Amino acid sequence: MSLSAARPLISIYNDKNEPLGTTVALPAVFKAPIRPDIVNFVHDNMAKNHRQPYSVNKDAGHQTSAESWGTGRAVARIPRVRGGGTHRSGQGAFGNMCRGGRMFAPTKPWRRWHRRININQKRYALVSAIAASGVPALVMSKGHLIQDIPELPLVVDDKVQEYSKTKQAVVFLRRIKAWADIQKVYKSRRFRAGKGKMRNRRRIQRRGPLVIYGQDQGLTKAFRNIPGVDLINVSKLNLLKLAPGGHVGRFVIWTQSAFSKLDELFGSWRKTSKLKKGYNLPMPKMANTDLTRLLKAEEIRSVLRAPIKQKRSVKKLNPLTNTRAMLRLNPYAAVLKRKAILTSLQSRRKRQELLAKKRGITLEPTAAEARARKLQEQRRAAIQKAKAEKAKKPKVEKEEKPTPGKEGKKAKTPAKGDKTPVKGAKAPGKGGKAPAKGAKAPGKGGKAPAKGGKAAAKEAKVLGKEAKAPAKEAKAPAKEAKAPAKEAKAPAKEAKAPAKEGKAPAEETKKVAEGSPKK
Amino acid sequence: MMSSHLTWMIIRNNNAYLLKKRNIKKPFSTEPNNLNNLSSYRYSGLIHKKSVGVVAAPDNKGFTVVYKKSRSSYKPAKSVVKRTMKAGPRRSLYKLKRLLRANKYRTDLTKFLCIAGSFTQSQCSVEVTEATTN
Repeated sequence: MSLSAARPLISIYNDKNEPLGTTVALPAVFKAPIRPDIVNFVHDNMAKNHRQPYSVNKDAGHQTSAESWGTGRAVARIPRVRGGGTHRSGQGAFGNMCRGGRMFAPTKPWRRWHRRININQKRYALVSAIAASGVPALVMSKGHLIQDIPELPLVVDDKVQEYSKTKQAVVFLRRIKAWADIQKVYKSRRFRAGKGKMRNRRRIQRRGPLVIYGQDQGLTKAFRNIPGVDLINVSKLNLLKLAPGGHVGRFVIWTQSAFSKLDELFGSWRKTSKLKKGYNLPMPKMANTDLTRLLKAEEIRSVLRAPIKQKRSVKKLNPLTNTRAMLRLNPYAAVLKRKAILTSLQSRRKRQELLAKKRGITLEPTAAEARARKLQEQRRAAIQKAKAEKAKKPKVEKEEKPTPGKEGKKAKTPAKGDKTPVKGAKAPGKGGKAPAKGAKAPGKGGKAPAKGGKAAAKEAKVLGKEAKAPAKEAKAPAKEAKAPAKEAKAPAKEAKAPAKEGKAPAEETKKVAEGSPKK
Repeated sequence: MMSSHLTWMIIRNNNAYLLKKRNIKKPFSTEPNNLNNLSSYRYSGLIHKKSVGVVAAPDNKGFTVVYKKSRSSYKPAKSVVKRTMKAGPRRSLYKLKRLLRANKYRTDLTKFLCIAGSFTQSQCSVEVTEATTN
């Protein structure tokens, strides 16, 4: 918004929605302050200017020679109609309360229908409206569908001014993606609510895009039949069209010649306007309106005093009922609680076992027991397998050293969370790995052959081919591992971990075969 | 040129997406990129240079994150980027979070993006019920 701000370049589009390559600097008008209050005021008054006077007939209610009967006749004192022989005789007349009388303050045609507005105010409003038409947020908030237009402000080649057929105009609007706005107009066609229907204002519809041109070479006739579209010449800009309803932000399509004329019309702050004598764009109250940046700016912050931070009263939480409050005060409470829970579980279990014994029923093992047993079995099986394969293939002692540590680590990580699916993945994973690598340890032991160097790489190539067959085996159980992993409510990362483990050997054997060092 | 504060002051009581209901003090907003549908400065999808929105993905598998590129704010056609997240609920939420955190993109909105997760949750629950009935 600042006066010295750089003026960005706007590209001009041809009627096929391709940027022509030429650019125009944004006219200064688009940086003018946007004052919706001024726009509203001016619009209100301007709108009054095309009113037609209305009034009641000046004789209405007075075309009688009624006179009051006065007092003493047991009737109200309003003037009453003279004579006899009709219903009308003796009826009240003249008053606004009387039937057939004139209204209160009969409307007169010499009411002040039109308003004059100061020229500068009019220009300010116009300029604000133009500036607002260049802000996508404002145009979208007004309801125009401009999601797909190439740029805002939208400037189009002068060829559009030469259109003579509505068909051309429609094709053009379609290409520029302004058609959505016009479809909205079509959808908004409806009957007016209220008496306007019988007063020749039956149908209403939304406003569409506004086309501002420099020279009419047929353009008006091409576009005028498209619902919602309005056309103005740049030299005769109209606030009522630029800010319909008094609200800024209409969707405007400029032609190139119109756009270039704006600078002459309104000037920039450095130059007065050529076409409006002595006129210059209004000065903004605030050059930089970006509050967030201002508040963080060094120039401002360095002058401020330190903020006074009020200590907010914290709600007291009862440690006896709120565990976190308890833990804050006494961390050992967690241990105590856990122990208490475990012992209660154990004692319950014991009681159940006793009862079971008495009744001669065998109880199902608890979940923890079952898990532990499974783990043991799988481990035993894996170890036996590994032993069996080690016995078949030659050992390379160097590579054995780093592995046990890593094996140990790997054994720990899956211990978290749900164990069964993970373990399920591990077993076949290991089974798949073992034949592929032999001496090369499973899982992250894949790094070890990298350390081993070229010799290892060669071996890897040999083994790599053999590895593919068992690697397929590794994949199949890995998939099975995935299925239970999904069902288990373990977090996504851990569910992926066993799948990775299952896949890892297959991937690693291939990678090692290629000779790439690390994963 | 137009700071978000200014546009907000212009728009706040007066725009096509404003929705006021009886007895409810804070107005709603029907903007597409508004995460909690409240009409407020922070959550407005139109005003800021950067905004995020979540839409159901076309084939109903997962959701699409729609976010604005901060450079092309004057070119509406180019300023929108769409990324479809097809993975299951938790994974795509993680992806979303990462996408925004890594780029420090509107970190004040991350809470409301969990609501986006409810999209995928509801989709997932549909799949689960189908499986169980089968």
